[in-house]
Amino acid sequence: MAFSLGFHIIFAAIGMTMPLLMSTAHYLYLKKKDPVYLELTQMWMKGVAILFAVGAVSGTVLSFELGLLWPGFMQSAGPIIGMPFSWEGTAFFLEAVAIGLFLYGWKRMRPWVHWCTGLLVGVSGFVSGIFVVAANGWMNAPAGFDWVGGAARNINPVRAMFNRAWPHESLHMQLGALSAVGCAVGGIHAWLYLRGRAPALNLKALRIAMIFGAAASIVQPFVGHYAGERVAELQPAKLAAIEGLFTSGRRVPLTVGGLPDVETRTVKWGVEIPGLLSLLAHRDLNSEVVGLDRFPRQDWPPVLIVHVAFQIMVAIGSVLALLGVLYFWFARRGTFPRWLLWALVGCAPLGMFAIEAGWVVTEVGRQPWIIYGIVRTRDAVTPVPGMVYHFYLFLGLYLALAAATVWLLRRQILAVQQKFGG
Amino acid sequence: MIDLLILFIGAALLLYVLLGGSDFGAGIIELLPAGNLREAQKEVINRAMGPVWEANHMWLILIVVILFMGFPTIFTTLMISLHLPMLALLVGIVVRGSAFTFRHYDAIQEEKSQRVYTWLFGLSSLWTACWLGIIAASLNRGIIDPAARGIWAAWFAPWWGLYPLAVGAFVACIYAFLASIYLVGETEVPELKRRFVRLAAWFNGLVVVTGGLVFAASMTERTSLPAAFLRAPLNLAVMALATLLFVVLWFFLAKRRTMLTRIVASGQVTLILMGWYVLYAPNALITAQGPLSFYDQAAPPATLRQLVLALLIGSLFIFPSLIYLFRIFKLSGGKQAKAAGGPGPLGS
Ligand code: HDD
Ligand code: HEM
Ligand code: HEM
Repeated sequence: MAFSLGFHIIFAAIGMTMPLLMSTAHYLYLKKKDPVYLELTQMWMKGVAILFAVGAVSGTVLSFELGLLWPGFMQSAGPIIGMPFSWEGTAFFLEAVAIGLFLYGWKRMRPWVHWCTGLLVGVSGFVSGIFVVAANGWMNAPAGFDWVGGAARNINPVRAMFNRAWPHESLHMQLGALSAVGCAVGGIHAWLYLRGRAPALNLKALRIAMIFGAAASIVQPFVGHYAGERVAELQPAKLAAIEGLFTSGRRVPLTVGGLPDVETRTVKWGVEIPGLLSLLAHRDLNSEVVGLDRFPRQDWPPVLIVHVAFQIMVAIGSVLALLGVLYFWFARRGTFPRWLLWALVGCAPLGMFAIEAGWVVTEVGRQPWIIYGIVRTRDAVTPVPGMVYHFYLFLGLYLALAAATVWLLRRQILAVQQKFGG
Repeated sequence: MIDLLILFIGAALLLYVLLGGSDFGAGIIELLPAGNLREAQKEVINRAMGPVWEANHMWLILIVVILFMGFPTIFTTLMISLHLPMLALLVGIVVRGSAFTFRHYDAIQEEKSQRVYTWLFGLSSLWTACWLGIIAASLNRGIIDPAARGIWAAWFAPWWGLYPLAVGAFVACIYAFLASIYLVGETEVPELKRRFVRLAAWFNGLVVVTGGLVFAASMTERTSLPAAFLRAPLNLAVMALATLLFVVLWFFLAKRRTMLTRIVASGQVTLILMGWYVLYAPNALITAQGPLSFYDQAAPPATLRQLVLALLIGSLFIFPSLIYLFRIFKLSGGKQAKAAGGPGPLGS
């Protein structure tokens, strides 16, 4: 499940962001009538079509897997948290209709109506992303029911959907998608540009992608900080694991890097910045931050994984934010030095790593709970024996699918290159 | 509330079988030898399915969402007991959707890769259709046992047997039949039109044969269909009507009344589905411990209210946009598509 999600999330992020890039290019074409923008729109459109199909089938697998792997979880959670999924389903439906219209409607609709269908693909994808994260938020901050004797009573799906973790998670996730995909696409086109392939097209592509990528990357650390504050409040054990904080205290330092050691309850090789964690978590240097010592040992999340994943995410977030600032600085002057373009190329995959790392923080940080503080993960697993085969089956399938997708996208790029020579 | 939800599930299932079924059938048809018509046939299928297959596929997701939010026990029982068929179905869906899209959007179109995509697409269409039938047949056999722990009892027994196999074959034939009927109206090329009519005739025969097989195989089950039908004359009438409609269908087909043939064929499938549902209503499944009915297994009222609300509001958006989609691509028919030079300025 975690594996399917880790796979799906990449395609979902691309599926939410690419249509927006495509619509922007399409808009510029309709406004400026520059055929290069049309070329760009159609190039991205093919990518969107491929990724949408893969995103759709991997999403279908997920919706079944919820029941296949977590029947115990779904039985109690379905009625409570089904609501965002049903809205998500609605948004997907619209998206599927819109993508059919857009892909095949070039000569059958008035240009601006056609443009609207393309935009609708992006918007409904974005909205569905926001909905589905509500389900995850609810796992982190359960709401909308009373837990009486191992069963949910007084279910209120509306309250479950508007749980307290939803705002920060969906905001952070959507920005993450924009930032990761924007920078990745920008990086690919920077590379093609540097290789001297179709420079006019690639420069335009790079600019469109980086408007989204750079802007989102600059905002993301602030939103990430907000997410951290919320976690401090809602899931102190997760925050303690994120920071590798074994003992509670006031004026606690922020530990940058390092490897937490659960046996000795220390963080090796970390750099401590005095008092900063207290300040960041509760906006007060002298505030108390709860450490892992307040929780029974069996309720600790895997500290090492969570801490390292968080460090990776923050490191990438800082690099991308810097890149975003540099990008805007040079974009205002109108030219890009080669080293900046190479930096873009180098940073292309980073955002995706940050997304994966971020999900590891959220999910592993919630362990051993599947519904925080209420249901333990091991109580929710399917009773059917032989789950490893399931895992290998989907591992193989997804690897094949990922390989096929990468291969196809490479062929897209090759085809463009052939067309423009070089 | 529950009635409304049953209606929604029924409607979604019907639309999935009719619309998605034609897409599956198109894949099955591509498995058959087509001689020098192969390329032209592929072209027609790409054009006919391309704009709509994602939307057609969504009906299945809708069913899953309604089940897991509104009828969680039914959903989890299904997923546990029919774990393997569900997995097989999923693998099929993944391979099929990707192969179809890849075939169309591969930037470098060459003989070899195209052949692999087509082959995968066809094979997974057939595979998925059969598993769908097997799953449908397994619902009401009374073998599903949530408490089973042995490998055989938990994994295989619920869907193993002649009867599910027969239903699987039946569903695949129905799909191919629907697709042939549908594709007749999607092309202006006379040889291709003739080919699809011929295929429709073949699959019509196969539907009748496999339908008979389903009846015969059901004798080995706890409830045999002939006995059940004799007890329910309404069902018998419905099935007889569905069979008789073949005559009407061929009359319209001979007259080349495309729209009418489609309506009749859809009507037949609707009748078959209805007959099947009425036989077991309002039970969603029959387990070894007894039937699970939609009425007993529903989620709390607050949840159902929200679900119905979401579906109703969703319908306000979905149906108009779907109708728009079908108007733009379907009713205009093959003629206009050809005049416009196929989909998109890129051609296909
Ligand atoms: C491009 C992606 C990306 C980048 C650059 C960052 N994050 Fe992030 N982060 C995510 C992508 C992400 C995510 C994948 O979207 C997560 C997983 C779940 C969620 O809500 O967002 C996440 C989760 C997440 C959480 C856990 C939220 C929870 O469990 O409720 C925290 C505390 C942070 N992030 C903090 C940060 C900080 C301080 C960053 C500073 C630079 C940062 N993130 C950069
Ligand atoms: C709505 C969204 C999500 C749901 C409902 C969900 C559900 C779950 C469940 C039930 C578990 C506990 C099982 C386990 O320990 O393996 C889990 C863990 C996990 N999930 Fe998610 N998840 C969601 C989003 C994600 C995403 C997007 C990722 C992306 C990478 C992810 C990654 C993980 C990981 C890494 C674990 C492993 C924890 C461990 O094994 O210790 N999850 N998730
Ligand atoms: C348990 C978790 C999840 C389930 C059950 C799920 C379900 C689905 C389904 C059924 C689809 C296919 C819809 C279609 O045919 O168009 C899909 C696609 C998609 N999912 Fe998920 N999803 C989950 C997690 C997520 C998460 C965490 C996100 C991101 C925030 C996400 C965002 C998307 C997007 C954007 C698409 C559209 C695909 C595209 O445009 O390429 N999903 N998902």
